[in-house]
Amino acid sequence: MANPQDTALIEVRGLKKYFPITQGIIFQRKVADVKAVDGLNFAIKKGETLGLVGESGCGKSTTGRAILQLYRPTAGEVIFQGKDLVKLQGEELRKMRRNMQMIFQDPYASLNPRMTVGDIIGEPLEVHNIAKGKEKKERVQELLKIVGLNPYFVNRYPHEFSGGQRQRIGVARALAVQPDFIVCDEPISALDVSIQAQIINLLEELQTKFNLTYLFIAHDLSVVRHISDRIAVMYLGKIVELTDRNALYNNPLHPYTKALLSAVPIPDPVVEEKRERIILVGDVPSPVRPPSGCHFHTRCPLVMDKCKKDDPEFRNAGAEHWVACHAV
Amino acid sequence: MTQTRSPAGIDLPHRARSPQRRVVGRLLRNPPALIGLGVVAAMILCAIFAPQLAPYAYDAQDLSIARQAPSPAHWFGTDDLGRDMLSRIIWGARSAVFVIVMVMIVNLGLGVPLGAAAGYFGGWVETVVMRAADILFAFPGLLFVFFIAATIKPAILTWAREAGWRDLANSGYLDYAVVIIALGVIGWAGLARMVRAQVLAVKEREYVIGAQAIGVPTWKIIARHILPNALAPVIVALSMGLGDIALSEGYLSFLGIGLQPPAPSWGNILSDNAGRYWRMFPQMIWMVWIPGLILAAVVFAFNFLGDGLNEALNPELVD
Repeated sequence: MANPQDTALIEVRGLKKYFPITQGIIFQRKVADVKAVDGLNFAIKKGETLGLVGESGCGKSTTGRAILQLYRPTAGEVIFQGKDLVKLQGEELRKMRRNMQMIFQDPYASLNPRMTVGDIIGEPLEVHNIAKGKEKKERVQELLKIVGLNPYFVNRYPHEFSGGQRQRIGVARALAVQPDFIVCDEPISALDVSIQAQIINLLEELQTKFNLTYLFIAHDLSVVRHISDRIAVMYLGKIVELTDRNALYNNPLHPYTKALLSAVPIPDPVVEEKRERIILVGDVPSPVRPPSGCHFHTRCPLVMDKCKKDDPEFRNAGAEHWVACHAV
Repeated sequence: MTQTRSPAGIDLPHRARSPQRRVVGRLLRNPPALIGLGVVAAMILCAIFAPQLAPYAYDAQDLSIARQAPSPAHWFGTDDLGRDMLSRIIWGARSAVFVIVMVMIVNLGLGVPLGAAAGYFGGWVETVVMRAADILFAFPGLLFVFFIAATIKPAILTWAREAGWRDLANSGYLDYAVVIIALGVIGWAGLARMVRAQVLAVKEREYVIGAQAIGVPTWKIIARHILPNALAPVIVALSMGLGDIALSEGYLSFLGIGLQPPAPSWGNILSDNAGRYWRMFPQMIWMVWIPGLILAAVVFAFNFLGDGLNEALNPELVD
C-alpha cells in the first residue's frame, strides 16, 4: 500500500469541535462544553469511500460538518488540496466550497420549499459563476439526467417529489460544481428500504464516473460495509478503530466495534442461531462530561485500571489497522 | 402556462403551482378574509381617487347648511362648519392610507433587517438590537408618541420658522412626519422580535446549511433562503398591525397631537364632531357613529385579512 500521505485528498489532524453551553443574557459566560468531536486524526485517500459509523450523538454528523467548516472547529487542522480549511476565512473559504460538497440526511428538509428544482440545482452554478442563463438551464437538465430524473422537472417544486426523488435532487445539487470530495451525511437513513439501494447504487455509479471521494456517514453497518473502502468507528467524539472494511468486519479489535458488529443480524438462520450478542450495559455518557481516560471504559467488558486513567493512543496495530485500546 | 413535450410524447404542464399562488388561492376561498380584502381595497381606492370620488372639497365650508342630517345631497350629513362629511371621510381615507403605508415602510425597513441580523449573526448584534427592542417595549407606546409630539415637534417647528421655512412649518407635512416617525419608531420592535425568532428557527434548517455548504454568499442566504421562509408569521402580524396603525393615527389626531385641522383625518373628524357639539345635540348620532364605524370597520378588515393570511400561509394545510 502506498504511503497515505502521498495520495490523501483530505487530512484531518486533531480535529475538535466543542459547543459551548452558556448562561446569562447580557453577560454570557461559558459554563461547560459539549465535546461533540474530541480530537480526530485520519486521512481520506483520493477516490476512496471512508465510512464513518457510530451510534446517535457520537459526533458523526458534527465531524462531517466540521470538516466542511459548516461548524468552525474548536481546534485542529483540515488539510484539503494543500490548504488548511480551518484557517480559511470569508471569500477564500467560499471559493473552496466548489471542490467539496455535502449530501444531507433528510431529503424533506434539505431543499428550500420555495425554490424550483431548476433554481435549487442552478444555484451552485450561479454563485460560483460557472454558468448563466441558457447554459445554466442546459447544465441543470443534464444534471437531472445524470441523477436519473426527468429533465422536464426543472420548473417543479420539491413538494411534488417523493423522498427518493428529492434525494436525487440533493445529489444533483452537490454534483453541480463538479466537486472532488462529498460528505454524505446519512444520505439514505430517511428513505424507504426499497429506495435506499437505488441511491446507494447512484452514489457508487457517480463515484466511478466522476472519480469522487466520499466521507460516508451512517449508522447502518451493512450499508457502510457495502459502500466503504475503509471504515472508522466513532464513540463519544473519538475514533476508536479505523481500518479496511474486510479487516474491520472479520477481525474487529476494539471491544466497542465487536459489540456493534455483534448486533448486526446475519441473514442465515443457522449462523444467526449461533450469533453471540455482546450486550453493552449502561447508557452512552454525556459528551459534556466524558469519562476520564478511555471514553468507553464505563461500558467496556475488558475494562482495566489503566483505562480509567489514561486515554489510549490511536495507534497502528499492523497492516494499517488503527485502534485506540489498552487491551489490544 | 407553457406546455412541453416529454420524450414519451405526453404533454407535461411546464410550470407547477408555486407556493405563493397556492396561498392566494386559499385566501380567496376564505369569506371573512375576502370581506377584509374588499374593505381594504375600497379604502385604498378612496385614498387614490379621493379628488374624483369626493363630491365636495374636504374644507369647503357653508355655515348655512351646518349640522344637517344625512340627505341625498350630503349622504353622511354635514358638520358644524357645513362641510360635507362624506367628502371629509373619503379624504380621511387618503390620510389613513398614507400614514399606514409610510409607518409600515418604516416598521419593515427597521424591523426586518435588524431582526434578521440579530437572529442570523447572534452575539453582540443580537444583544444590541434586542435590548433596544426591550426598552421600547418597556416604555408605553402612547406615552412615547406624546413625548415626541409634545417636545420634539414644537422644537422642529420653531427651528423651521426661524430658518425661514414658514410655509413648510405651516403646511401640515410636519404633522404627518411626526405621526409616521413616532409610530414607525415604536412599531419596529415587535416585528424585529418576531423576525429574529423566525430566523433563529429557519437558519438551522438543512437547506440553509445546504446553501452554506454550496458557498452561497451570506446576504443571499438571508435574502433567498431564510427570509422567504421566515416571513409568513410576520406578514400576518403586519396585516393585523396595520389596523392598529390606522387606529393609532385616529387617536393621535383625536387627541390633537396627530394631524392638525383642517387636515381630513378620521380622528380629527371624530374629535371635531364629538368635542364641539355632540354633547349639545346628542340626537345627531351620525356625526360620531359614521366616522367611528368606518374606523372600526377598517380595523376589523385588517384583522380578518390577517386571520385569513394566517390560515392561508400555514404550511401544514394542503389543498
